[in-house]
Amino acid sequence: MKTSRLACFTLTAALLGAPALAADKVSFKDPTGDDNGPGTYKYPTDPVYKRGSFDLTDFSLAKKGDKLDVSLGFNTTLEDPWKTGSGFSVQMAFIFIDTDGKEGSGSTESLPGLNVKFAPEFAWDKVIVISPQGASRVKAEVGSKAGAVKDNVLVPDRVKGSGRKITATVNAPGLQGEPSQWRYQVLIQSNEGFPAGNDLMTRKVNEYEGQHRFGGGNDGECDPHVVDMLAGAGKGDASEVKAQHEALAFECGEEGVVKKQATLTMVGGEAAPAEKK
Amino acid sequence: MNKNSTRKGVAALAAVATLLPALPSFAQEGPRLQIGGTTYTKWLYGNQRNQGALYNFTTIPGEGYGDNGIGTELELLLSARISSQVEVRGRIHSRFNQNFWTNFGGFGAQGDNCIGGNCGEFDARSSQYIKLRGMAVTLTPGYLIDSATIGANDFGQFDPFVVGRIRYIDRDNASGILVQSSAFERRLSWDAAAIALPRLWAGPNFKTGEYHARDASYVFQTRYTLNDNFDFGGLFQYADDREISLTDTNLDNGRDLYPRFRNGVGALKAGFHLGSTLDVRGAFYRSYAHAEDTNYFGTSGDKNNSWVPKSFGLNGYSPVPAGRHEDNTWKVDLTLNDPLDIGLSLNVQGFSIGADYVSIMAARRESDVLLTEGTDGTFAFPGPNNRSYGVYGGNPAVIGYGGWTNESQQVATINVDNEFTDFDEPMAQTVIGWKGVTFNPVYSNGALDIAGEYSYITYNTNWQAWGDDNRGIKDTLYPGAELDSGVLHNFRSAYQPFQDKQTHIAVLKARYVVDIGRGVDVFGKVKYIHESDKRLNNKKYLPYQDGDCPADASTNCQNNVRYYDSNGQFSTAELYTNPNRLPDGSGYTFKPFDDISDDDRLLHYSSFNLGAGYQLTDDLYASLSYTKFLADLKDGNTAFQSYGMHQMVSGKHDKNLVALKARYILAGVEFGLEGQYIFGTFEPDYGGGFVPTLADETIAKEKNVPVGSRGFVTRDTYGWNSLENRYFVQTRLKAFMKAQF
Repeated sequence: MKTSRLACFTLTAALLGAPALAADKVSFKDPTGDDNGPGTYKYPTDPVYKRGSFDLTDFSLAKKGDKLDVSLGFNTTLEDPWKTGSGFSVQMAFIFIDTDGKEGSGSTESLPGLNVKFAPEFAWDKVIVISPQGASRVKAEVGSKAGAVKDNVLVPDRVKGSGRKITATVNAPGLQGEPSQWRYQVLIQSNEGFPAGNDLMTRKVNEYEGQHRFGGGNDGECDPHVVDMLAGAGKGDASEVKAQHEALAFECGEEGVVKKQATLTMVGGEAAPAEKK
Repeated sequence: MNKNSTRKGVAALAAVATLLPALPSFAQEGPRLQIGGTTYTKWLYGNQRNQGALYNFTTIPGEGYGDNGIGTELELLLSARISSQVEVRGRIHSRFNQNFWTNFGGFGAQGDNCIGGNCGEFDARSSQYIKLRGMAVTLTPGYLIDSATIGANDFGQFDPFVVGRIRYIDRDNASGILVQSSAFERRLSWDAAAIALPRLWAGPNFKTGEYHARDASYVFQTRYTLNDNFDFGGLFQYADDREISLTDTNLDNGRDLYPRFRNGVGALKAGFHLGSTLDVRGAFYRSYAHAEDTNYFGTSGDKNNSWVPKSFGLNGYSPVPAGRHEDNTWKVDLTLNDPLDIGLSLNVQGFSIGADYVSIMAARRESDVLLTEGTDGTFAFPGPNNRSYGVYGGNPAVIGYGGWTNESQQVATINVDNEFTDFDEPMAQTVIGWKGVTFNPVYSNGALDIAGEYSYITYNTNWQAWGDDNRGIKDTLYPGAELDSGVLHNFRSAYQPFQDKQTHIAVLKARYVVDIGRGVDVFGKVKYIHESDKRLNNKKYLPYQDGDCPADASTNCQNNVRYYDSNGQFSTAELYTNPNRLPDGSGYTFKPFDDISDDDRLLHYSSFNLGAGYQLTDDLYASLSYTKFLADLKDGNTAFQSYGMHQMVSGKHDKNLVALKARYILAGVEFGLEGQYIFGTFEPDYGGGFVPTLADETIAKEKNVPVGSRGFVTRDTYGWNSLENRYFVQTRLKAFMKAQF
């Protein structure tokens, strides 16, 4: 009898403790209506780019063993007009992670096509690329266009869009630490099937929006090709709109030459070093 | 991803768009031409052994059809930034309609049928020529307007109900001028365009007459975003097709024009966005169309290319009705996004598309204007095998027993385009006249996704005698376009002389990722359609007087006509003629139409799908699925006889589909494969009231049935309905390679 009680207690304790052990999770929110990059960006004019398509509302990441479960919320119901089979077509996201919190450790350059960089104290160690296109295509593009950092680019095995959520499962064996100790930046872009030049499947931002081009930026490469991102404390506070606009502020010289490039910080998990949250 | 030219078209256009911006260094160096492109090789294999063209389906006479062969095409994308304010882009493309590898680059005999590449070197369909498909210059002057695009465009920035993607094989074949601008920090924006009216199809009888130089569609669209919660907009389109006036005999002061076809469509749209959980969007459209039908341009299309018919007879072909029409269309969408925070969302759509709604520039395919899945492509037009379809004798439109693989897309026009498609591509169907409601709950939780649908659809085209008792049954403004019969209908037949129809659609589909290895995708779907159509529902429309055909067939039918109008002029007897009495007096060749239930239609359609997919390697994904289709159809039996055009109609259909799909990607090159094995049975059931006869040698040869097999001739005598059970086996395969460079 005593043995039975002990077994029950042990089982109960195990079940109660299981979620905490199984998943270390972080969640952030982002205000709605800030899907305008530095404040001026406009959607392409084709109807497939629906209102709110690139408006990030929330982001969460959970670690389960060697796998990371990622969830991104958008301010619209997802659709798959180009029949990618993923449940969504136009969205694309880059989740940059600073796992060690060490200044100078990692990369301050982003991926080709985004036209942003990271402050040295927020140099990223890993980036998860969320695309409606198949993992094979994404990996091939990463290999040919971001070969120098390809080992740090994580491409999910599974990506799906449903309702207003995009979820993905990433196999990341050996990733050190727990999500609550890391810092994050989520950059929202648009999936481009035929990217220009060396762009990693990202859609251009030009001065004037076109059928398949964002507007409100610059025709050169001096503007950040980011439509929405995490900012401030990642709580969805209205002040984070302003923080985003400031973070993505840029200056161009003549003919689109970079004068001031958007330099980004990150949002920290609960257990991340306080000064860098 | 691995299968359709829809997406290919989108990608191609996007490629053009994205090639446009030049790097700063380019600008400093001056104009620089960038060239990119794709090459696409396709292999079709099927046991129907059709090798008309490298497409599985087309209804265009002379364009052929095919399910066998290999061919390659090339697409070059050109772009240049001449200055910061001027961009140039172009697309040139070869087509492989008849360009088989076996035609040795287009050489061969000067064929008179141009089938299977046998067209000769100088025929554009087989000479592997490369053609300018899209050429445009975009200006961004920096003042007055945001941009102006002069030249080719797909005009997809408008509205598929009004001006949609204007596709005829390629998406940017249309040309025009597009001006875009904005104000109030771009909260207000507007687009205006003048689009050259496609003379290929944009008017009565699929043409715009003889004089076409100024035929155009003019569009204006504006949008205003008041705040995060509310936005609204408007859209107006006017298409104008004119011909040289026949009454202007004084040429010294130029020539007057006279309208052949005019079409105006206005739309108002608004969206309410209440927080993140509730979205309400509404759109209202009103159309006006006037196709000149007073014989101003003559009385025969053979003599005058501008002629517009006064009537389409029983089964005319035209993308618009004749005469003058006005009607409304509306649609309201409501989305409740996970209100209970349990992963369950609900989409609801109410809609009504007017029977007389006409929008000549509405999307013909590549759009899906309704939330419902609609019907499936598997038994469409009119399916499953059209080789014996009388209208296209000698040029059969073949998609085979398997039909199109996917569910259909809905478009708001009878100008539907499914030409040059393969079996794995989406099929479009008209929704002119549809009205109803769709409920679409979606549940997502972790690896599990479940979605359902219930749709109730009735029809604004539910009418008797084409909605006009004062005209003869073969004197109508509405083009029937093969009329409506078969398991899941013809894709472009919105209008029937008699209709009293309603449709219920129920769908449940699920996908689950089993956490084994890289994750096994398990998916399934159940779909049920119940459709009934009383068609002729008033005794006064029956063709003949009561007792006209003696029940014991002791004598021939008397042919005492019954008239449905008050003046005693019009009768359905001109359409529903009486059967012949068999020589031995044993009965009639088909059942006399003497009861209003004789033409009733009732369909029970079910499909069950189950499959699994797996990422076998980093580069290779494959899936295997099985689908069973069961269709129990009573389609007017012998009284209606599907107007004599359709081969397999009333009875029990049992079809099985085993499909293997694979996708393999190397950097820059994509391979796709879909193989299908289809087998099943059809048990005809045309009811009673007639005596079957046996096929003679002539029928056997023409209709591909055995000599001596049971059946009966159809009312118009060029059809034959076999009463023998059918067993079919079809294999078909499509593989492709697409390389970007």
